[in-house]
Amino acid sequence: MSEQEYYIPHGTYWPIIGSIGVSTLFVGFANQMHGAEWGGSVMALGFAILVFMMFGWFGQVVNESTNGIYNKQVDRSFRWGMSWFIFSEVMFFAAFFGALFYARQFSVPWLGGEGNNIFTPDLWNAFSASWHQMAFLAPGTELQSGTVMSFPAIPDTGIVTATPADVVDPWGLPALNTALLLASGVTLTFAHHALRAGHRNQIVGWLVATIALGAAFLGFQIMEYGHAYQDGLKLTSGIYGSTFYMLTGFHGFHVTVGVIMLTVILYRVQKGHFTADNHFGFEGVAWYWHFVDVVWLGLFVFVYWL
Amino acid sequence: MSEVLIVVVIIAILIALGFGLIGMVKGGKQGSDKMFKSLVVRITLSVVLFIFVMFAGYMGWITPNTIMLDAPTVQTSVDK
Repeated sequence: MSEQEYYIPHGTYWPIIGSIGVSTLFVGFANQMHGAEWGGSVMALGFAILVFMMFGWFGQVVNESTNGIYNKQVDRSFRWGMSWFIFSEVMFFAAFFGALFYARQFSVPWLGGEGNNIFTPDLWNAFSASWHQMAFLAPGTELQSGTVMSFPAIPDTGIVTATPADVVDPWGLPALNTALLLASGVTLTFAHHALRAGHRNQIVGWLVATIALGAAFLGFQIMEYGHAYQDGLKLTSGIYGSTFYMLTGFHGFHVTVGVIMLTVILYRVQKGHFTADNHFGFEGVAWYWHFVDVVWLGLFVFVYWL
Repeated sequence: MSEVLIVVVIIAILIALGFGLIGMVKGGKQGSDKMFKSLVVRITLSVVLFIFVMFAGYMGWITPNTIMLDAPTVQTSVDK
């Protein structure tokens, strides 16, 4: 295709199929949360539609690329499209990090009486401002049979408080997960180097290692959630629980998406779709993975340490 | 001091990531080279930062967010 012509795909039906898939998935999920028996089946159907859409849409774009339909102008469009997507991602995580910073530096101290109690006069005299311990269980809260909970109590009130600090230990799984994700960044960089040098076998090896490390991260993250949830840290555990799960949950979702993208790239590498000079698909996914890696590093430092 | 250093390195990592993005958007041989070099800087700084954070924690220069309440601990056992 010449530089003057611009390829515009006609009659694409994949966006509407994707929308139907996402809608079906959410309807199933919402009803599953409300106890509907059919919720799980509808969720599975929605997920299947999404997978079908991904295979179809990705496959179509890959075919168009390998058939030489795209020229440099289309290449520029892809690059700018990716950059705007990344901009929205940066803003998305900036909002959550901003919420974490604001709640921790301003809201919680104000609630605790900082600033001559001007913001919260006589809010609740038993309230003690502390980052992490913001969840309160009323006495008599129904717990699972046989559950033994060990929580600090507010003196003379009989009110017990959950202590998520107990379960968030930065030396354990979070440190291991950080090491895993950073290692995946290193292996991906080696894969990137191998691609630029034209060593296809090495790319495959490094990419498989990157995907395995990403999957291991997700596995350990699920374990961490299991521990945290059992020990009382939930989305409802005050501002700390909310920001903790929103940040780490959305990050985990992005790692999942990244693993899917890397798997597609692995398949395309094996098919010989990329050359040392022309591999935008790889570059886009590589940058995305580095970004997700940096977000986790920020999480590890600001949520667990500083 | 350690906190300041950590934040400075994080900002440097973000700048390296930003240069990588500029390289990716630019494309071509020049852009590709710029992207790759920036991402190498990014991962190197990240690994160094992680090692430093763990070392600083070990040395007690920074303390993790694991502060406990002073309130007494109670055991609540529920049998339904």
